[in-house]
Amino acid sequence: MDMVTVREITKNFGEQVVIRRFDAAFQKGEFITLLGPSGCGKSTMLRIIAGFEKPTSGELYINGTLMTGAKTFVPPERRGIGMVFQSYAVWPHMTVYDNVAYPLTLRRTDRETVRKSVERVLEIVHLSQYAKRYPNQLSGGQQQRVALARALVAEPNLLLLDEPLSNLDAKLRETMRFEIKEIQKKLGITVVYVTHDQSEAMAMSDRIFVMNGGVVQQCGSPEEIYDTPANQFVADFLGKVDFFKGEVKEGRIFLPSLGNQSIPYSGPRTGRVDVAIRPENLFFSDEGLLEGTLETQYYLGDVDDCRVRVGDGLVRVIANGYAYKTLQTGQPVRIGIRDFMVFPDDGSLEEMLRIQT
Amino acid sequence: MKQPRVQGTDLRRRDPLPWVTKLALVFVFLLGAALTWMGIRGQETYNRSGFSSEAGFQAVHALADAVGEQWNQALRPALDSLTEEERAAAEGNASMLLRDTWEKQVSGGGALAEDAVREADASGRSSFPLLYTTYLVSGPKISPSGRKAVTALTGTEAAAFRQELLRCVADPERPIPDPAAELTADLEGTEKQAVLTQALFVSCGSSGENITASVNAFKKSVRDKTRQLEAFQTIAKGETSGLWNWIVSHSRTAVLLGIICMLDVVLLALLMAADRRWEMNIKWFLVLIILDFLLLFQLLPMIIIMVRSVFPDGSFTLATFRRLYEYPLNLEALKNTLIASFATMVLGTAIAFPLAWLVGRTNLYGRKFFRALFVLSYMVPPYVGAMAWQKLMNPNAGLINQWLRTLLGLADMPGPLNVHTLPGLIWVLTGFYYPYAFITISRAMEKMDPSLEEASRISGARPVKTVLRITLPMMTPSLIAGALLVFISAASCYGIPSIVGIPGNVNTVTTRIVEYVGQGAQGVNDAVGLSVFLMIVALIVLFISDVVLAKRQYITVSGKSVQPAVVDLRRGRVPLTVLVSLFAVFMVLLPFGVILVTSFKIDLGASLTAPGNFTLDNWTSVFARSETLGCLKNSLLFAAAAATVGLVIACVMSYLLQRTRIRGRGIPNFLITLGSGTPSVVIALGLIMTMRGNFGINIYNTAWILIIAYLVKYLMMGMRTVVSAMSQIHVSLEECSQACGAGWFRTMRKITGPLILPSIAAGWFLIFIPSFYELSMTTLLYSATTKTIGFQLYEYWTFTSQPMSCAMAFGILLIVVFLNFILNRLTKGEFSI
Repeated sequence: MDMVTVREITKNFGEQVVIRRFDAAFQKGEFITLLGPSGCGKSTMLRIIAGFEKPTSGELYINGTLMTGAKTFVPPERRGIGMVFQSYAVWPHMTVYDNVAYPLTLRRTDRETVRKSVERVLEIVHLSQYAKRYPNQLSGGQQQRVALARALVAEPNLLLLDEPLSNLDAKLRETMRFEIKEIQKKLGITVVYVTHDQSEAMAMSDRIFVMNGGVVQQCGSPEEIYDTPANQFVADFLGKVDFFKGEVKEGRIFLPSLGNQSIPYSGPRTGRVDVAIRPENLFFSDEGLLEGTLETQYYLGDVDDCRVRVGDGLVRVIANGYAYKTLQTGQPVRIGIRDFMVFPDDGSLEEMLRIQT
Repeated sequence: MKQPRVQGTDLRRRDPLPWVTKLALVFVFLLGAALTWMGIRGQETYNRSGFSSEAGFQAVHALADAVGEQWNQALRPALDSLTEEERAAAEGNASMLLRDTWEKQVSGGGALAEDAVREADASGRSSFPLLYTTYLVSGPKISPSGRKAVTALTGTEAAAFRQELLRCVADPERPIPDPAAELTADLEGTEKQAVLTQALFVSCGSSGENITASVNAFKKSVRDKTRQLEAFQTIAKGETSGLWNWIVSHSRTAVLLGIICMLDVVLLALLMAADRRWEMNIKWFLVLIILDFLLLFQLLPMIIIMVRSVFPDGSFTLATFRRLYEYPLNLEALKNTLIASFATMVLGTAIAFPLAWLVGRTNLYGRKFFRALFVLSYMVPPYVGAMAWQKLMNPNAGLINQWLRTLLGLADMPGPLNVHTLPGLIWVLTGFYYPYAFITISRAMEKMDPSLEEASRISGARPVKTVLRITLPMMTPSLIAGALLVFISAASCYGIPSIVGIPGNVNTVTTRIVEYVGQGAQGVNDAVGLSVFLMIVALIVLFISDVVLAKRQYITVSGKSVQPAVVDLRRGRVPLTVLVSLFAVFMVLLPFGVILVTSFKIDLGASLTAPGNFTLDNWTSVFARSETLGCLKNSLLFAAAAATVGLVIACVMSYLLQRTRIRGRGIPNFLITLGSGTPSVVIALGLIMTMRGNFGINIYNTAWILIIAYLVKYLMMGMRTVVSAMSQIHVSLEECSQACGAGWFRTMRKITGPLILPSIAAGWFLIFIPSFYELSMTTLLYSATTKTIGFQLYEYWTFTSQPMSCAMAFGILLIVVFLNFILNRLTKGEFSI
């Protein structure tokens, strides 16, 4: 059975539509990420699942039970969910132990069981030695793990995470990313994770829901979303991409902005198209399809980030670091293409790429 | 191209010459020492000069002449009825009393008085008028309640009373007649005689207002004469140099200046030494100027109070305390104060927390309206509330009592409720001090990060449980802070106990202090003893709220701008709204309503709708009187002066605190906090004791003493507003302006100034409004020409007409509400009290 079923949920704040007909089912043990720019409605969706917001219309089931509907509303405390807030919301007047034990003491668990559970969960988040401390004696990362431990201690089947890593520094963020994923796997719980950071989403999720302007743009596994984006927005939001206007003619796509050079194409689309190319799918090769002049290059160690002038346009190429040693700015180069994406050009590209808030 | 100006310290600059600074410091120190020494010498010269005969005689004589005629007329019948011996003895005692008083009150005044008495004797006049004049000059006043009791006697009763009093002046052993006996019960010797004499004169003066008017005129002329005296003196010593002349005539001022000068230099040296940089910095002078002001007008009076309490006559003794605390009335007052303040604190907080939660965090109907209403009652002068409750719950004619009697079918008897009791006092105090806790708590509650509560909900706690286990504990620091604020405000309140408590003989420390201050030198000693008690209570409270609580302050403000989550009351919504409305009607609208209704009545006993009982006369006559308008003008003027000076200090302090790291900036900050925590009566008493010339500054009976008292008490309100506004402007905004090439002044004018302008306006009003209706300090510090509207109202209430005073009270209320409205508009709704 599905852990969470969201049926046609719409949320308005006054005139403004924040979520438009969100419809999805999250399975047990799945790691779901709601991904999108700020203001896309992902946090509101999470708060609807938690029960802090009521949707304007639609229904929400958790574990097959109706939680939010036209006539039903189960308050957050009766939903049996764990949640980690962006600000952590660790209560400053309680010790780490008391913070974590709080959900259990509410359930009238006996003291010994509480102690065991708290110790176990603190062990999981590596905070055992800090049990007696107050939150203001902890670092941001430690507070974040207290929040996580508190969300996990009552062994919920569903864990909600609202941008839990956004207040941490880059190194810690990467460590925590894998820790959360590990814990989720070990406990086998369903996680709904909200973030605007695409690499976080890619690294952790089983399925990603990409949202913009309150509408789900695409849902699917990280590979699906990255490799076969449903539209230009998704392609643009995940990873780096350059768009070029093109026209399909005789099995080739001609690119007017790149000096009308062309690349072979055998797909189903015809007529005017948007060609989206990820710079890491381009490489320098003497047999390359496009020719141009190397205009700038930034050596980043592992890769060489180059701009190549092709016709009137600029093409970004992320070559391997070694290329920097062999190429010189200003020299003519040829570019090979491993892969590219083609979208029908209905004139909506700019509209699509605009981040709606 | 124009080069941007370089900001910050130029690293190439050499260290300043440390020895130049040190030399300058030593020089200024020596200057101060010289001034002090010369001042002391000047004092000696002055004492030796034998100056007293000519000029002194003239000054006092002129006064005696002016007042004598009138008083002789009033006294004649009483004096004539005495036997010759009795009369002679009374006269003799009166002149001794006069000498004594002058000796105590005016330095070197004993000889002055002696001369004047001699002259009075020679010309066959009585020295009683002179004696009375003396009391007007030197300050002791008969207490309001005493005055009331004495003026209550009329006709033959009064004549007999006066006669008996005169006999008592002649014979100290004679039992004193009521009601004067009560007034002098705890007094002895000169002080006792002084109050007796005053009672005598009050009794004579019962004929009405023209006496008060002439007394007022005399008071003014006394001050003028004192100035004349000084002028005489300077001319008399014309043979010496100007500076020496000044030092002789202002020896105490010279000593004061010298000591301050030395103190400042020592402090500056200490600060520089701690900095290891012997460099002059303009900011230090700012700190020192503010510090000197506070030292002089705040710390000095408090230290003098402390010293006087254990050195009443120059030698160490605990007699003051022993006498005070063995006297049952005082013990009772102490007990009452503690019980009333504690009960008010508990009750007030117990009311404020649920109200703050309901209004701030739930979907109660009309929460914005209720919030505004409760906050509004914060700025109602407490004595207006006391008047209202007196009208509602006095045992005989109280409205609520009348309703209850009808409702319960009780016979025509007093009660069942009586506001003139300790519970009544607690009730009224609670009604007017719970908003203090309400504001503190609701501010903290609205700033709390809502996800802290959501985290509790998602952990499985129901809303009520969340409030109990998360919201309430998180609020404890502000809860305690609010509670302590209520406690100290209730303990140092004078208006409410004097209106509600005294008629029922429920005394508090503040009313006892005011009573004592009216009783001359010994009275001041006793007032000092009680003040020390109040001061210690205040210091403990201040210590708890500043030191202990500061450590427990949870930072709950999150980075995001958040709207606190609103709790759905569901089925409780309607009943709770009804409950809160009832509370608002009962605690806010009913009292104000009764004040408004009373102000239109002719016959207090009858209802407003009774035929012919409605009149606008109370309003028109009160506000047409030049006396009222004069008081109103005084109030506006003094409050504006205090607010303006206060704001200048507040701005300088905010800048020093928020934008500089200058050493020593915390000292004035601490003193300002201390000042706001000091009970009003204590501040006033301290000023009375130090500002009448005995320490080189004579502003007693002038507007300045009132303005300074307001400043000491309310400066903190203004400062905190500006400081918090400045702390919210990130330094980067100013730095960015400087990076763009603007200098310090331009940055202040273009960036910082406009950003904190609303807060400056708010700070100004926050000092202005409470100063405008102040009563406790004004009661002790006013003079005939510096009466304020608050005090005028109090006098009307006690001595004249209740409907008229209600009209005046409502007028004050309207002015305050209007001022608050301006403040709200000026700051675009960001601020109101």
